[in-house]
Amino acid sequence: MTSNLRVRTTVEYIIYKLKSLNFTIKPASGHLSPAKANYKTTKSVLMDNTEYGIVYAVHIITVQFGSVVSKVCECLLRRGPLSSRDISRLAESEISHNQVKDILYLLIQHNCVQAFSIEPPDGSESKAVVQYLVLFNNILHRVRYNKFSRVVNEELGRECGIVLDGLLSNGRLTLGQLIERDRDSEKIGEIVIRGSLQKLVAAHFVERIPSPEPVLGNKEQEPAKKKGSKAAKILKEPETLEERVLEAAIPVEAIRFPHVFVQDSNSSIADNDSNADNDSNADNDSNITEGKRKERDVDLSDPSNEVIWRPNFEEFIRRLRHKACVEIVKERRDEGCAIVLRAMLEVGRSQEKKVKTDKSVPMSVGSIYEEVITTIPGRTMLQERVEACLDQLSATSSYLPAFVIEVDGSYIVDFKAIISIAQKDEIEAVVMRRYGKEAFRMFRYLTMEGRFVETDRIADAALTEKKDTPQILLKMWQDGYLHMQKFAVTGGTGYTPPFLLWKVNKLIVTRQMLDEMYHASLNLSLRLTHELESEKELLLLSNKKDVVLEGAYEERLIKIKAKRLLLSSTRFRLDDALMLFANF
Amino acid sequence: MSKRKRADPKLSGRDPNEAHEKKLLDMIRSKQGAGATMYELKGDKTIPPTMFTRLVQSLKKKGLIKEIPTMNNKGHKHFLAMEFEPDKELTGGEWYIDGTLDVSKIEDLKAKCVMILERHRHRVVTLDVMCGYFVKEEKLSVDQTKEILKNLVLDNQIMEVKSNGLNEFASTRIGEVCYKLTGKKSGNGEARGGAFASIPCGACPHIGLCTPDGVISPTTCVYFQKWLEF
Ligand code: SF4
Repeated sequence: MTSNLRVRTTVEYIIYKLKSLNFTIKPASGHLSPAKANYKTTKSVLMDNTEYGIVYAVHIITVQFGSVVSKVCECLLRRGPLSSRDISRLAESEISHNQVKDILYLLIQHNCVQAFSIEPPDGSESKAVVQYLVLFNNILHRVRYNKFSRVVNEELGRECGIVLDGLLSNGRLTLGQLIERDRDSEKIGEIVIRGSLQKLVAAHFVERIPSPEPVLGNKEQEPAKKKGSKAAKILKEPETLEERVLEAAIPVEAIRFPHVFVQDSNSSIADNDSNADNDSNADNDSNITEGKRKERDVDLSDPSNEVIWRPNFEEFIRRLRHKACVEIVKERRDEGCAIVLRAMLEVGRSQEKKVKTDKSVPMSVGSIYEEVITTIPGRTMLQERVEACLDQLSATSSYLPAFVIEVDGSYIVDFKAIISIAQKDEIEAVVMRRYGKEAFRMFRYLTMEGRFVETDRIADAALTEKKDTPQILLKMWQDGYLHMQKFAVTGGTGYTPPFLLWKVNKLIVTRQMLDEMYHASLNLSLRLTHELESEKELLLLSNKKDVVLEGAYEERLIKIKAKRLLLSSTRFRLDDALMLFANF
Repeated sequence: MSKRKRADPKLSGRDPNEAHEKKLLDMIRSKQGAGATMYELKGDKTIPPTMFTRLVQSLKKKGLIKEIPTMNNKGHKHFLAMEFEPDKELTGGEWYIDGTLDVSKIEDLKAKCVMILERHRHRVVTLDVMCGYFVKEEKLSVDQTKEILKNLVLDNQIMEVKSNGLNEFASTRIGEVCYKLTGKKSGNGEARGGAFASIPCGACPHIGLCTPDGVISPTTCVYFQKWLEF
C-alpha cells in the first residue's frame, strides 16, 4: 500500500512536469518481467512449488521409485488433488486403476501423499469421493534425510538415530516392525528400541501417523452464522486446501505425541482418533466432520491395531531453521551473539505453533541467561555479557536489521529479519556474479528504496554510467530479477523516448531464485548421474575386493570420486540455501 | 540553474536569412540550458525545412550557439545559446567529464574513504568528520561526499549507523549519522558468500535455456566441464 502510494508520487510528479510541457502520458504495455508476465499476487505465488520445483520433485521420485510412480506423482503435482480413477485416466502413460492404487499406497506409506474426501452437500445423494493430495515438501525432504538423521544423532544419540533411520527409509512402521527390522540388521535390542522410540516421540521427532482419510466439511455450505462470531475472529481459517487437509488429518497433541504407549494395545486407534478429534472439534470449531471415515480405496490400518509411527518433518525443519538462524547470526554478528540466540531459541521453542513463525514469544533476560549457562560454550558467560549481546542483537544499521526486538524489558527473536537477511545475501551474491558490481549497486539501491525509481535516478544513486544503466537494468528485468513500468510520452514538439521505472519486487525475486535453485539442484543431480554412469565399470571394478587399480585407472578413480564428492556436497549446501526460501 | 555568461551579442550584416536566423536563435535561447534538438527546431513550419542545417551552421560560425552531445544518447546533439551552461540532464552531472562518468576519480575517492575508516577501525567516524576532510582536501561538496559514502554503502563495504551515544558512539551525538567498515576484519560480520552464486548454474547466463534434454543441458554443459576438471 505504502509503496503504491510512493510509486504514484514519483509517477505523478513526472506526469505533472511533462504535462506542463504539453505532453500526453500513458502507461505502455509490457511493463512486467517477460519471465513473469503472468505474475499474480495470489496465493499461488506464495506456494513453494515452482515449475522447476515440480520437475525436481518428479526427478527425486523417478530416481527413488522409478518412472511409473513418478508419472502418478507428476499428475498430482500438476493437476492438484485427484481421485484414483482420475489419475489412471489423466496420467500420461497407461496405468491401470489397480496399479494406481498400489502406487498411491506406496506414496502414502512414504508420506508423500495424503488421502481425503469432501463431504457432499446436504441432501445430496452422491457419495464423497476419496481424493489424493501430493505433499510437495515431503518429496523434497527425501533428499534431506541425512540432515534429519544428523539432528537426532547429535541430540539424542546413535540408538535413536538408528530407529529414526528405520522410519525414514520405510516411511511408516509400528514398534513391532521396528523390532523385527532390528533383528535382521543393527541388533540394538527390543528394550533399546522401545526406549529410543519413546525419546523420539517425546522430542517430537516422531509422531503417530495422521488420520488416513479425513473428511472435510463442504466449504460452500460452511455456516454463514460463523461470520463475525467470536470463534471465527480468534481462529484464522486455514487458507489452502493442503493446510485444511493436514489440519484435519493431524490428531491433537496428546494423541500425536503420546507420553505412554504400549505395544499391541487393544484400544482402537480409530476410537482414540475419533475421540480426540471430537475434543478438538469441541474446542476449536474446526471444519472436520466427525464419524464419517469413509471406506478407503487404500486400506492403511494395521491389522494388529498397533500404533503406526512416522518421522515428524515439521520438527526437523524447525530444528534446521533454528540452526540456520544461529549460523546466520554467528556470521553476521559474532560467536557471543550466536550463543545468546541459541539459548533464546531453546527457551521459546516449545511455544512455537508453526514452523514459519515470524516472531518468538517474549523472554526475560533472566530466563535467557539461565539457558545460556547450561550450554558448554556459554558456561562462563556473565549476565553482563549476555545483556551486551542482546543490545548488539537489537541494534540496527544500513547493514543489518535488528535480530531481536526489545519490548518492556523482554526480548523477542525476529525470525523473519534473520531469515530475510540470509535470503538477501543469497540473492545479492547471484546478482553480483551474474551481472557485475554496477548491477549489484543498482539492485541494492532499489531494494533499499522499495519503490519504483526512474532510470537516471538509479544511475545517479549508484554512480554508474548513465548510458550503460538501461542495458544493465534490462538484463536483470529479462531474467525476472526486476519489475518494470514503462510510460510512453506523446505530444509536445518532438519525439520523447518512454521513461522507465524500476523496482525490486521481493515476492517475484524470491520465487525466481527458488525456481532457479530447484533447477540447479536438478542439474547437479543429473550431472552426478551422468558422471557416475560414464565411469560405471571402473566403479564396479573398484568395489571388488581382489582388484587393485593402478596407473591411469587409479587416476581416473580418484577423479571420479572427487567429482562425486564435489557434486553431492554442493547439492547438500545448495539445499540449505533452498530451504531458506522454501521452508523457513 | 543555467547561468547567463554575457550579454546578447547583436546580430549584424545584411544576411538574407537574418530573420530566419534570429527566429532560430530565439527558439534555442528559450530552451535555456536544456537546449534544442534538430528535430525540435524543425517543428517550426515557418522556416523552409531545407534551410535548417545551413542556418545552424551559420549561427555556430558566428559563435552564437554551441553543440552539446547528450550523455544519454551521443547521436542526439543539442543546440544551446552560447550564454547558457548545459543542464545536468545533458552532461550527466558533476561526476561526468565530456559526457563520460569519471570512474577513476570516483574509485580514488572511495579508496580514500575506506582508508580513513580503516584507520579508525575500532570506532565510528561521523558524517561531519568525513565531510570536513573531503570538502577541505578534495574540494568536494557536502552532497558529493554523501554520494561517495552512499556508494560505498551500496557496495556493502561500509555501513551507515545512527549513534546511540553508547560504547563505540561515546564521542558522538545521539542520532548522529556515522560510518564504519563492514567485514570480519573490522569485527562487524560479513555477508554470506551465497551457496547458489558459487556454483556454475548460479552464475550461468543460459539458465533460462538449459533443460535436461535440450541443446544446453547439464550433461553437455561446458561450465560444469570446467568446474569438474581435476
Ligand atoms: S547446467 Fe550448465 S548450462 Fe545449465 S544452468 Fe547450469 S551452468 Fe548453465
